[in-house]
Amino acid sequence: MIKVDKLKTAFLGKNKNRSICIGIVILAYIIIELMMFTGSLKSIFINLLVPVTSYIIVALALNLVVGVSGELSLGHAGFMSIGAFTGVVVANVTATMIPNDTIRLIIAIIIGAIVAAFFGLLISIPVLKLEGDYLAIVTLAFGQIIKSLINNTFLGYDSAGFHFSFITNDIQLETGGKMLINGPIGATATDRISTFTIGIILVIITLFIIFNFMNSKYGRNVMATRDDRIAAQSVGIDIVKTKTIAFVISAGIAGAAGVLYGLNFSTLVPAKFDFNQSILILVYVVLGGLGNMLGTIISTTVLVLLPELLRFLADYRMLIYAVVLIVIMIVTNNPKITEFLKKFLKRKNIEGDQNNG
Amino acid sequence: MANDRYVLKTENLGIDFGGLTAVNNFNIEMKYHDIYGLIGPNGAGKTTIFNLLTKVYNPTRGKIYLDGQEITNESIVSVNKLGIARTFQNIRLFKDLTVLDNVKIGLNQAMKYSLIESILKLPRYRKEEKEVEKKALHLLEVLGLDEFVDVKAKNLPYGKQRKLEIARALATSPKLLLLDEPAAGMNPTETAELMEIIQLIREKFDISILLIEHDMKFVMGICEKITVLNFGQILATGTPDEIKNNSEVIAAYLGSDEEA
Amino acid sequence: MGFLSYLITGLGLGSVYAIIALGYTMVYGIAKMLNFAHGDVIMVGAYAAFFAVGNFNMPAILTIFVSILVCTVLGVLIERLAYKPLRQASSLSVLITAIGVSYFLQNGAQILWGTDTKIFPTLIDLGNINLFNDQLQISLLTIVTIIVCIIIMIVLTLFINKTKIGKSMRACSEDKVTSQLMGINVDTTISITFAIGSGLAAIASILLCSTYPAVNPTLGSMPGIKAFTAAVFGGIGSIPGAFVGGLLLGIFETLAKAYISSQMSDAIVFLVLIVVLLIKPTGLLGKKISEKV
Repeated sequence: MIKVDKLKTAFLGKNKNRSICIGIVILAYIIIELMMFTGSLKSIFINLLVPVTSYIIVALALNLVVGVSGELSLGHAGFMSIGAFTGVVVANVTATMIPNDTIRLIIAIIIGAIVAAFFGLLISIPVLKLEGDYLAIVTLAFGQIIKSLINNTFLGYDSAGFHFSFITNDIQLETGGKMLINGPIGATATDRISTFTIGIILVIITLFIIFNFMNSKYGRNVMATRDDRIAAQSVGIDIVKTKTIAFVISAGIAGAAGVLYGLNFSTLVPAKFDFNQSILILVYVVLGGLGNMLGTIISTTVLVLLPELLRFLADYRMLIYAVVLIVIMIVTNNPKITEFLKKFLKRKNIEGDQNNG
Repeated sequence: MANDRYVLKTENLGIDFGGLTAVNNFNIEMKYHDIYGLIGPNGAGKTTIFNLLTKVYNPTRGKIYLDGQEITNESIVSVNKLGIARTFQNIRLFKDLTVLDNVKIGLNQAMKYSLIESILKLPRYRKEEKEVEKKALHLLEVLGLDEFVDVKAKNLPYGKQRKLEIARALATSPKLLLLDEPAAGMNPTETAELMEIIQLIREKFDISILLIEHDMKFVMGICEKITVLNFGQILATGTPDEIKNNSEVIAAYLGSDEEA
Repeated sequence: MGFLSYLITGLGLGSVYAIIALGYTMVYGIAKMLNFAHGDVIMVGAYAAFFAVGNFNMPAILTIFVSILVCTVLGVLIERLAYKPLRQASSLSVLITAIGVSYFLQNGAQILWGTDTKIFPTLIDLGNINLFNDQLQISLLTIVTIIVCIIIMIVLTLFINKTKIGKSMRACSEDKVTSQLMGINVDTTISITFAIGSGLAAIASILLCSTYPAVNPTLGSMPGIKAFTAAVFGGIGSIPGAFVGGLLLGIFETLAKAYISSQMSDAIVFLVLIVVLLIKPTGLLGKKISEKV
């Protein structure tokens, strides 16, 4: 029947997006590896490879909540933080029993993601009872709480096992013991085991998870809930359960990103994952387009690299960054320009003139 | 199927908003496979009753029974699971999703695969998705929307949007379908087509239909029974002929015979 | 006595939060946007005062006036240049723009005035009073702060309810299009709202920095976040809500610092916020907007 063709384009269309995304990522990986191999990549950029991939992953995770699920989260840096410090603890504690860096990294990522997802589940219970700006404020609050909690955590490890104290550092470590999280000082003397390759693999896995999620009943439920709550309920969708699933997956992925990030630096302070960081990730997502995964990858890459590329502007670079941000927002929301762009892009849909919605 | 059971029955259903009584003493006994009409002037409380039946509102008093089971205290979601689906007066489609996806969402809750199975694209996911795709296409065919499969809902012409809402509601396999002004904004050809489709749906899917409409030709044309509402209270209940000749109804709502 | 002392200090801090929160809530009410740059306007006000005294040797009254003027002008400028072009845009887009403005102000301040911490000049030198046979010592500055907050609250409420401009503001909050059709100049009304909010920010800045005299480019960040939290907590868009939210937040923070832990005080305050919102999902005094089905 003729419908089969329509079906094919509809179905392939969704997988097409996923394939394009992953294809571009793999292509970029190959190009970058080649550049590194031939020595044509500046060391500044080599150092940014893992951070950029970490930010891409957490931005994709945030897009799942903000773009696909339609909820504003102002505390996602908190999940990154949980992942980062969990990863650091795991990597340090297993250093002797798992000498292979790659395996240790992978295990740390898995555990970090699970812990972050768990906290995502806990947090989603109060958060998803609220709506709109009130929901956003509670995510902000949780981000601050997480930062505060880790800031006041003292965790050490020696042959007798773990030592933990809160707010005040009462830990007595034997010689040879390691201080894992030292309150506001955070983690020090971490082995840097994150690699760009693992990072890219994680990006690809994330894309698989997100796209497959969106093409399943769970994803469709989330998007329906985003578009119209009442209508979604009227066809049997449980709003809270639906949003929780998206939120927890997002938290887990953000946690994985955090592990990758945290194990890339020998020192890491909890204060790094503050409100500003959450906002930064939000900017990456919005600029890339809500729900647009490829857009997120591109915008994150550009925005993370931009301060480096503008280094020649010295002190003025963050100022220019700010101006660029404002200008982009104004320009992309200017009705004259969006009209022009719409005419440029051809779509298979019936022209909006025919209906009066 | 017990003969003394009704697909829908309410007892003294009513709701107050603050000091205002919007609906009072609403009683209905709707037989299986009936097409039942709910008519009345604007503001009479018709949509409010739909909201009560689907638990968008909680009744202040009274009871609701679906297929013999009391649903007065159920939630919007569980009422749908128990067998009531609806369309909305002000069309609530998932505007940015395609026509196909809108209907598929109606079929979502019947699918059983788990999250892991969907992310890893395991066999049960693939099988159920294929089935759902087929079912969705079939529904769209019945409603004459199969040409618009991958069009975004917001880009559909108005009349077709209304039909899509019906398709989506049907996808949830209801026992009772509530249609809120399904013919609003349609021209006579579309309206006649809709009348046929509604009767077809009733046969094909073995369901009962309760509808709100202002188009008297439509209502008198396909409803077996009608309840007239005015100021939140029932004015009259009866067959189309009885209603047409009811003097109170004429005075309050129908006006002269030319109206119909 | 200790409790009473903390309570009063908390009210003082809360008054500052309330005044800042008023700016957030008024702008949200009329423009439906969260002005993230509001906290940084406070920072600019502090620097204005610093330079007014330091470079121009202005007396206290004039300094305060200059600070208010600078902030007011800044607020209106920001609105006209950055927010007005986005009136039709999604609230998320406006949020991002506000973030851009915030970055701009912070980095601009860094470039112009350096990251070193400057000391805020003493404008209000009042000392303390001792009550109950020296058992209770209260800073007069705190009392002044609370009184200023109450006065602002009263004046603002009268302004909103009794004056023509106030009515315009309320009308625009409800329905911009209809307001315009009724002859209200929406542009001017919005600018006036930003002006008032920013002017208040200057007052908050002076009161805040008189107690905590450290001036640096990020000084507005944390108070901004807290005041924003207070505004939402009290019910975003509600002026009495901002007042109540701010005061309560100040009290919670001070009590938490005093009785539980100074390091965890922020976390505790945010936890309280979460609990309150769970009980009242639209804030303490916020309106529940029900959807028409």
